[in-house]
Amino acid sequence: MKKIGLLFIVAILAFSCLFGTLAFAQEYTIGLSFPSLSFAWFAFLEQAVKDKASQLGVNVVSLEANDEVSKQISIIEDMIIKKVNGVLLVPIEVEAVVPGVEALNKANIPVVTVDRRLKEGVPVQVLAHVGADNYTGGKKAAEFIVAELNKKFGEPKGTVIELYGTPGAGPAIDRSSGFQDVMKQYPNITVKTQTANFRRDDGMQVMEDFIMSSPEIDAVFGANDEMILGALEALQASAKFNVQEVVTIGFDALTDALKSISDGILDATIEQFPGKQAATGFEILYNFVKDGKTPEDSVILIEPAVITKDNLDQAEKSF
Amino acid sequence: MDKTFNNGDGILQFENVTKRFPGVLALDSVSFDVLKGEVHALVGENGAGKSTLIKIVTGVYQKTSGSILFQGKLIDYQNPHEALRNGIAAIYQELNLIPALTVAENIFMGHHIRNERGFIDWKKMREEAQKLIDFLEVDVEIDAKVGTLGVAKKQVVEIAKALSLNAQILIMDEPTAALAKKEIETLFRIIKFLKSKGVTIIYISHHLDEIFAISDRVTVLRDGKHVATNNTATLTIDDLIKMMVGRKLVEQFPHMDHQVKDEVLRVENLKRKGVLHNINFSLKKGQIVGIAGMVGSGRTELLRAIYGLDPLDGGKIFVKGDEVNIQSPYDAINLGIALLPEERKTQGLVLLLSVTDNIGLPSLTKISNRGFIDDTKLNHITSEMVQMMNIKTPSFHQKTMFLSGGNQQKVVLGKWFARECDIYLFDEPTRGIDVGAKIEIYHLMNKLIERGAAILMVSSELPEILGMSDQILVMKEGKITGTLTRQNANQEEVLKLAIGGGHLNGRSD
Amino acid sequence: MDALTEDKNQGLVERFFIFWDKIGILLVFIVVCVIFGILNPVFFNPLNIINVIRQVSIIGVMAVGMTLVILLGLIDLSVGSIVAFAGIVAAGFQVKWGGSFFLSLVIPLLVGAGIGFFNGYVSTKGGIHPFIVTLGSMSIFRGATLLIAQGKPISGMSPAFRFIGAGMIGPIPFPVILFLGCVIIFGIMLRRTVFGRYIYAIGGNQEAALLSGIMVDRVKILTYTILGTLSGLSALILTSRLNSGELVAGQGYELDVIASVVIGGTSMMGGEGGVYGTLIGALLIGVISNGLNLLGVQPYWQMMVKGTIIILAVLMDRMKRRFRTV
Repeated sequence: MKKIGLLFIVAILAFSCLFGTLAFAQEYTIGLSFPSLSFAWFAFLEQAVKDKASQLGVNVVSLEANDEVSKQISIIEDMIIKKVNGVLLVPIEVEAVVPGVEALNKANIPVVTVDRRLKEGVPVQVLAHVGADNYTGGKKAAEFIVAELNKKFGEPKGTVIELYGTPGAGPAIDRSSGFQDVMKQYPNITVKTQTANFRRDDGMQVMEDFIMSSPEIDAVFGANDEMILGALEALQASAKFNVQEVVTIGFDALTDALKSISDGILDATIEQFPGKQAATGFEILYNFVKDGKTPEDSVILIEPAVITKDNLDQAEKSF
Repeated sequence: MDKTFNNGDGILQFENVTKRFPGVLALDSVSFDVLKGEVHALVGENGAGKSTLIKIVTGVYQKTSGSILFQGKLIDYQNPHEALRNGIAAIYQELNLIPALTVAENIFMGHHIRNERGFIDWKKMREEAQKLIDFLEVDVEIDAKVGTLGVAKKQVVEIAKALSLNAQILIMDEPTAALAKKEIETLFRIIKFLKSKGVTIIYISHHLDEIFAISDRVTVLRDGKHVATNNTATLTIDDLIKMMVGRKLVEQFPHMDHQVKDEVLRVENLKRKGVLHNINFSLKKGQIVGIAGMVGSGRTELLRAIYGLDPLDGGKIFVKGDEVNIQSPYDAINLGIALLPEERKTQGLVLLLSVTDNIGLPSLTKISNRGFIDDTKLNHITSEMVQMMNIKTPSFHQKTMFLSGGNQQKVVLGKWFARECDIYLFDEPTRGIDVGAKIEIYHLMNKLIERGAAILMVSSELPEILGMSDQILVMKEGKITGTLTRQNANQEEVLKLAIGGGHLNGRSD
Repeated sequence: MDALTEDKNQGLVERFFIFWDKIGILLVFIVVCVIFGILNPVFFNPLNIINVIRQVSIIGVMAVGMTLVILLGLIDLSVGSIVAFAGIVAAGFQVKWGGSFFLSLVIPLLVGAGIGFFNGYVSTKGGIHPFIVTLGSMSIFRGATLLIAQGKPISGMSPAFRFIGAGMIGPIPFPVILFLGCVIIFGIMLRRTVFGRYIYAIGGNQEAALLSGIMVDRVKILTYTILGTLSGLSALILTSRLNSGELVAGQGYELDVIASVVIGGTSMMGGEGGVYGTLIGALLIGVISNGLNLLGVQPYWQMMVKGTIIILAVLMDRMKRRFRTV
């Protein structure tokens, strides 16, 4: 037994050495640190970067942080030790990750943030931020719901469920405040908010409970597609509400969501063009590493779009 | 009752102390006094209430009613720490020391000596520890790790610990259980010395000879009630036994001569590195073979090896003539071998389970159908065993943790009786059991023999070995140093073989 | 008082404590339900009651298996990862690899059983504490899930498959039947079978069990295998309900599963407790989450309430033990 264990450890060591050497076969190495590859969203970002990287002939190191800030910081430290040429970062939390960025600054390794922007006023240098405008995305989702309710009732009124993301996460905050800022203008709309942690199973469970407690549900906004997809399962299973009569909108334009839209179940989702974001961010980083070229704007926001059945082809992903 | 000592010398006075546990009245209105500076023995069968009484004094348990006066003041300690701080210390069979720490540290555990900055003052602490050890006139190295010491020296550490706290009353619960004869002498010397310094000793023991050797007065408890408190010198052993048991004991060892038949177990050149060396013997149907020897002589290890608990390095085992390969107790039981382990609480019983569950445990596969237990059969077996063993329990569903030591041992016996094995390995079958229960257990062993079984019995009590065995194997340092028949065996002969060339016991002191 | 009447009275006292031991958490459960019912009458709507049981059935099925493991005095932290892995395998079999419907039901159960067997085998034969082994497999199979799925959930199961998580038999959801079925089957197993008695014996005193001829290692391995299989079943339910093999599925489930068992009165030391308590424990967790959701309470409170109840449950267990110190 002990021997087998030893063999196992040796095998693991051997593998990691092998991958370690492979990783440095190319001229430049860019480190990627995303919150968690368990989320389809980040897996897609990673793929977009990898596609761009192989096109440019750049090596990419990507490490899993399991959505833990402390892990992300230690990943960044590892990357410094590995002497990567630049880091493409999606911060798990917009303030807590600052020590990691500080360390990168000290080591003179350029950083580009994607998707989530570091909190304003923090004392660190970031080459550029490429991101979606989560706030605008939230606004657009709200505007979509208002327009649909207008169609339905002839005026903006009704009960709207907002499924909030992981408490404390930047996108959750921004999407919600964009959404709420629009909704505030319509006193006849009641908004009920509860978190579902950006997860499909939680989305379903929270929706089930809303179905029980809420006499009317006219629209549901999921701050990501996972949550809205879970909520749709709950709505479809319920005898109380007809999913066709409830306005539903997600966020992120994931494959499953797009499929649901094409099937006529989900009404809409917000596309933030993550592939474009990531690729743009990566290109900025690459140009800087290679030629020392700094980008014209240090903040590049990509305008989000509402995707419905009519403009499905605008989505980055297909299904 | 003998409540005659009501003078001012009573350091500890019990008045109508009662303790009730769910299902048991452990102490029933017990009253007596302990005098300052005496050695006061506390005797009684297991379950008589001695341990409960002690645990109430030291704050482990809280009494249900009654009062206890210590130096004239009412006490009701909530935990042992409180009792210790006030000058009542207890040394239990299971010693409360930390093996990985040194003697000095253990002595001052919980009240480390600190310097003015609040750090531990190691120098001062070692000095004080040395003083205490010197005071006791024993040879213990204060920097030694307690784990490396023998039981006797550990006990000295416990005593030193109590003294470091200025204990007025020192309670010793079966202090000689694991000691060799010479060590017992040292202990008695320490006890006398402490007594001369005015420390009151409460001494609990099953060994009545010790009671007569060391105590000034003796209190007898039976079934939770106070029977008598007398000056030891006025009593005989028989008086004491009569008071403890409540009846006269006719014979201590009911040995029966049986017709010895075919061989059921034979062991050839059994080896286990550093533990067993070339062990050869055979056991026949209808025979009780006793194994004598000091602690560490390999007695228990021999039983464990036969039972498949420890791997062998060589040798053969034959059961009813066939060579067998025993890898686990499961194999052993299937070959008709049962082991009654040394420690009933940690090895013999599942204390959380009921009498029924414990008795049924080894037999479940026999009384089940496709994995489902036949409850009728199980209850039948249980009631049969409870009757046969005379187990005192309020119900079959009583958890065994609530039974007294003797009854627990009977449950262990019952579970193996019910399994109907051919070969029984007994390890210390009567350790810590009172006289009455011991005799019952001897009778049950005879019953097993009548049923056609054979018994291999390890025991530290020579009279038991001599009284019950048909044949006696003596072990020393992992070897069998002699085989004696019942007729030619006597105490001196066995001791000579067990101790041999001047070693007192298996431990290196 | 003569011996006979005393025995009778003590029997009564004893029975009262046994009764309290079994019924205590049930009382807490009932009180919590009544409070929620008063605050929001929707709570007692039959639809909501079924809703709650369905919500807890995924955790509950695993908690039944976890009860057996904890009764042995052991632990398994990998259940959440088994759910994710078996779920991805189930989804993958149907959607990606074109396996038959039957296989997509059986393989996840076998996968769960295999991981359970691995946990049991390595911890017993290798002599490694199960805490460490299952911590390891928790990580291994989370990684394996990501590897298989290539970072994307797998969705689009057949309608027949959806029955497991979303189907109804009469008014009762199928997962509820699976969950209650597990409770009953393993309740009977623990009480009536040799294997069940062996679990209590090993949990109560491993050495005594070994000396009584019980193949301790085998019982442990089999128990881990059962828990793994039940985790596979949970994976089927979850995957079917979500209509998707999720990468984050089951993350953090081990806490809810262990909490259900502990709240249900099974001692972490082993040897005491049972699946009926676990049923109540799981329902209590579900009811608290559902009730607070119905009232629109933020989840921060839910987390705090859940944690408090776990600590109180263990505290009760400790007090019970202290009371009958021997």
